[in-house]
Parts: sequence; C-alpha cells; structure tokens
Amino acid sequence: MTAYLLRRVAQAAAVLLAITAVAFGLFYAAPSDPALIACGPKCDTAQVAAVRHSMGLDQPVLTQFADYLRGLVGGRTIADVDGSPIDCAAPCLGYSYTLHQPVLDAIGDRFPVTLSVAAGALVVIVVLGVGAGFVSALRRGTVTDRLLSGFTLVGASVQIYFLGYALQYLLVYTTDILPVPGWTPFADDPAAWAAGLALPWLVLGFVNAAVFARLSRSQMLETMHEGYVRTARGKGLGPLRAHLKYTARGAAAPLVQLLGLEAGALFGGAFITETVFGLGGVGKLAVDAVVQNDLPTVVGTVLLAAFSVVLFVALADLAVAWLDPRVRLA
Amino acid sequence: MAEVHSGGPPKAPSRGPFATACRAFRRDRTGMAALVVVALCALLALAAPLLAALYGKNPKEHYGQNRPGLLSAEGLPVLPNGGISGEHWFGIEPGLGRDVLTQLLYGMRTSLLVALASVTVIAVVGIVLGVTVGYLSGLADRAFTFVCNVMLAFPTLLLLLALSPVIQTRFVDPGENEPVWMQFTSLILVFSAFGWVPLAMVLRTAVRGLRERDFVEAARAVGAGRRHIVFRELLPNVWAPVLVHITLAVPGIVTAEAALSFLGVGINEPVPDWGRMISRGSEVFYDDPTYMVFPGVAILVFVLAFNLLGDAVRDALDPRIAA
Repeated sequence: MTAYLLRRVAQAAAVLLAITAVAFGLFYAAPSDPALIACGPKCDTAQVAAVRHSMGLDQPVLTQFADYLRGLVGGRTIADVDGSPIDCAAPCLGYSYTLHQPVLDAIGDRFPVTLSVAAGALVVIVVLGVGAGFVSALRRGTVTDRLLSGFTLVGASVQIYFLGYALQYLLVYTTDILPVPGWTPFADDPAAWAAGLALPWLVLGFVNAAVFARLSRSQMLETMHEGYVRTARGKGLGPLRAHLKYTARGAAAPLVQLLGLEAGALFGGAFITETVFGLGGVGKLAVDAVVQNDLPTVVGTVLLAAFSVVLFVALADLAVAWLDPRVRLA
Repeated sequence: MAEVHSGGPPKAPSRGPFATACRAFRRDRTGMAALVVVALCALLALAAPLLAALYGKNPKEHYGQNRPGLLSAEGLPVLPNGGISGEHWFGIEPGLGRDVLTQLLYGMRTSLLVALASVTVIAVVGIVLGVTVGYLSGLADRAFTFVCNVMLAFPTLLLLLALSPVIQTRFVDPGENEPVWMQFTSLILVFSAFGWVPLAMVLRTAVRGLRERDFVEAARAVGAGRRHIVFRELLPNVWAPVLVHITLAVPGIVTAEAALSFLGVGINEPVPDWGRMISRGSEVFYDDPTYMVFPGVAILVFVLAFNLLGDAVRDALDPRIAA
C-alpha cells in the first residue's frame, strides 16, 4: 500500500506542476497588460513602465515563473503599484491589483461559502443519486424504476441557470416556502445558514445526482449477479442485507471515483450556481475576475480548482484501493 | 469461412454490424422519438429564415420600441405572459422588444453551428490521437496519459471562460469590433481544445484491446505498414464508440456554450443566443418570468432529446448493456 501511495502522490505532484505552468502561461497569453490594469487609465507611459518593473513583468517569463513557484512554496514579497512592498505569505498565489489584497486572502475570505455549498450539495447528490440508483436496480423494470429513470434523465438535461431561477420563482417569490437564498455564516446562525443555502443545495444536488443514479443503477445490476452475492444469498442472507453488504461494496469503486471528481469540481467553486443565487464564493470570485481582467486572481482560482480536483481524485483512488484489493496489486 | 464450422446451429441470414444496429435502433421507440425531435430541431434551425419570413418577423427588429402599446414605460411587455399575442406568439423581449419566437429559432442556429463544428474537430483530433496512441504504446502512451490527466484536472468551465477573451483579443485589433465569424471560431477552438480528451482516451483503450487481435497480427504478417494498420484495420473497428461519443457530446457543447453566454462571454449581440436570452431573462424574472421559460425549455427539450438519442445509439450498438 505504501508504494502505491507514493506513486499516486508523485503523479499528482507532476500533474499539479504542469497545471501551474499552463495556467501561468495563459496569464502571459492574455492580451491585457496587467501593469496597465493595475495602474489605471490615468497613468502615463513612464508610470506604466515603472509599475511593470515593480511587478516584475520586465523579467523573462521563466524568471517570473520561477518567482511564482518560489512564492508558492516559501512566500515572497511583491511590489505594489507605488513600489511599496507587500508581504505575500506561502503559499503565495500572487497579488490582486483589482481587489487590493493577496489572491490567497481573497480566496480565503470566500472559501466558507464555497465549502458550505459544496458540502451540502454532495450530501444531496449521494443521498438522491445513489439512493435512486439503488432502488431502481432492486425494482428493475417496475413503474418505480421507470419513474426514477425519467427523473434522472430530466436532471441530466436541465440546466442550473434555468432550474435555479425557476425554483426561486416558485418556492421563494410566489409561495414563500423558502427564504431568499443567501449567505449567513454557520457560526452566526446555523438555521439561517441552512435555510439560505437550501435552494442551491437542492438545485446543484438534483442536477448532479442524475449521473450517480444512472451509474449506481448499472453498477448494482452488474454486481448483483456476481458469484459472491449469489453465494451470500444461497446461504440464506436476505436480499436487502446481501445487497447492502456485498453488492454495494462491489459496486462502489466507480461511484467513489466519480464522487471524487465531483467533490473536486465542487470545492473548486460552483461558478454558475453561485452566480445564479448571488452567493459570494470562490466561483463568483473567479467569474468576476475573468470579467474584470484580474489575471492574478484568475490564475489563483484556476490553480485552486485544479488542486481540488487532483486532491479529491487521488483520495478517491486511495479509497478504491482500500475497498478493492485488486486495484493496488495491479 | 462459415462452411468450415459445419455442425453448428442453422445460421440466420447474416447481416453486417451496421444493419444489425439499425434494426435494433428502429425497435427502440424512445430512441426513434428522440431522433424525430432532433431532426425537427435541425430542420427548424435550417429553415429559420424561411419560417421567419412566413411569420413576418425578424430577430433583430425592436418591435416593442418601434410600435407603441407593446412595452410599458419600464420596458416590460404590456400584455400578460410576456406579451404573448397573435402577433408575437412567444411574446416579446423586455427592454429591447424583439420577437421571442424568431430569437429562439435563430438562437438554435447559433447553438447547433457551434456544437456541430466543435464536434467535427473533436472527432477528427480524438480519433487520430486516440487510435495512434493506442497502437503505439510506450513513451507516446505515457506522454498522452499525462497530458490527458492534466487536461482533465483543469476546471473546464473556468478555463473556457478565461480563454475566450484571450483568443478573441489575440486576433482582433484593439478598438476594432470583433467580426461575428471570429466569435464563432474562437468558441469552436476552445471547445475543441478540451473536447477531444475523453474521446481519445476511450479510443486508446479500445485500440489497445484490438491491437493484439488476429486480424491485426495477420495484416502485420503480410507486411502492412503502420499507416495501413491504423487507418485500414483499426479505425473501421472503433466507429461505434465514436458515434456514441459524438451524439452525447453535442448536448454537452450546446449547454456549455449557453453557460458561457449566460456568464457573459460567448456570442455577442445582436446574434441571437439561448444562453444570453436566459441571462437577460434572469435580470427581469420576477417581473416577466415568461421570457426565460422559452429559452430554458428549449434547451431542456433539445438536450433531453440528444441525450435520449445518444442512449439509444449506444444500446443499439452494444446490445450487452441494453436494459
């Protein structure tokens, strides 16, 4: 298991390094001049040149990339527009001249929102998706199965930016069943926190649960007829217990992997959901950064999202190796 | 070779794999219904100028502003339900007062054009890379896997979002208005840049399985070159996964394109676009919810039909996984 773990970590590190390089490269492929944006429209050519120098933009790209990597590992000092030093502690993701704060701090401020949205949505996804898949596999061919399949098909085809507004109109505006979606810190008022996020959880969960429902249904159906499940049933184990204990474990591997990918994507920021419900999370930060040409923040949020995916996919792989010994021997 | 294996059960008249799949597909009622809807959508998009002429409206004219009595002082439709009337069947757009039905029809052209062009590029790149790498293995294979892992870890939507302005401004002089074809090209490029990865990965796996089969071995034994083996022996055997992938990729690109337009980067005014219609609808959805329903339901029906079609194609081509 240790060798497997080491190999997996090395792979993840290599992927992350490549992603950092590509994201950084995009920063330079970008048409806008970061110095010009940071300085503002009032700057003359000499001032822009000074800002460019203080930001290190007059250095060769490779030197800048090395600086960025060094900052990521050990922190660094960045020059502000007027030349005054800004301390950027490790892991330094750069400094946003638009928000006037280090990118990491900007992300940190908004991360609780993204964390809450993602965690709640994941619960909905697992309960709804795996539950529906499990039930329709056990009731294969019945009306329940067909209803659930139809439901998941709609879920797989409907768009968050339509369903979100439609539900908000029906459940908030016309009927007052739910309060207006919004953000209250959990520590302030847990009830308001949950009420404000209920609709985003529901929408994000429903839309993403469809894939899980379909996968868990087909996985269950495939595993249900494996020899070891039949043996367990033959020994007199009831259907529910046999399926929960044996079928579910055998069917879990691809589901865990999909869940890892999903969790990675969600913790990196739910761009559309946060935009639809006006939640100020990392996803909204990223979208705003793109619109405002705030390149250090764009690169920072891209890195965070990629890191999240790599981390959760690796965790899922480890979980699968633990669930299924055949994997780690391969 | 059937004569050699005599003594088996009497053979049914033999059919090619394509004919078998077609038969299976025709028996699938949901799949046929989905095909009809998809064909109808394509027809509507193709015939949009004709339909608009018959209906007597165009997607660009600001009817609500030019004719009194259609929009209120706040820019909202005067008639209930988004201004639906005998004149404007699906109502008019709040603010600019354009005709919703023609916007929808022309918006479908935008979606389909981007999706079909991207899918074509994706298919070509995915097939060439996937089949070649699957056949080569070794160092090329390891490099390919690494690149795919990197691409898959990227937050695609955010990257699409960040890349579209980059590509656009690279090729357009500042201060100049971006030509429409450039917007389309940059969107198609961005979707293609990421879309080939899953297809190539699937094909790589499929080809690795085929590589060791007897017919490839036989081709190699009679001295066939790499090119012949890849294009003549391996490629004809992987069209099934390619077809499935392409059918399911179209709705994915349509929704991604709509999402980009919803978030503010994508096709600009005045080219009609479903995502931008929803974005505009979201600004006024408490006052005029009807306006958003049309593009929302249009995307839902379109994507649902394509997803069902993709499922049916897969079931027809691979009877093992059919329910």
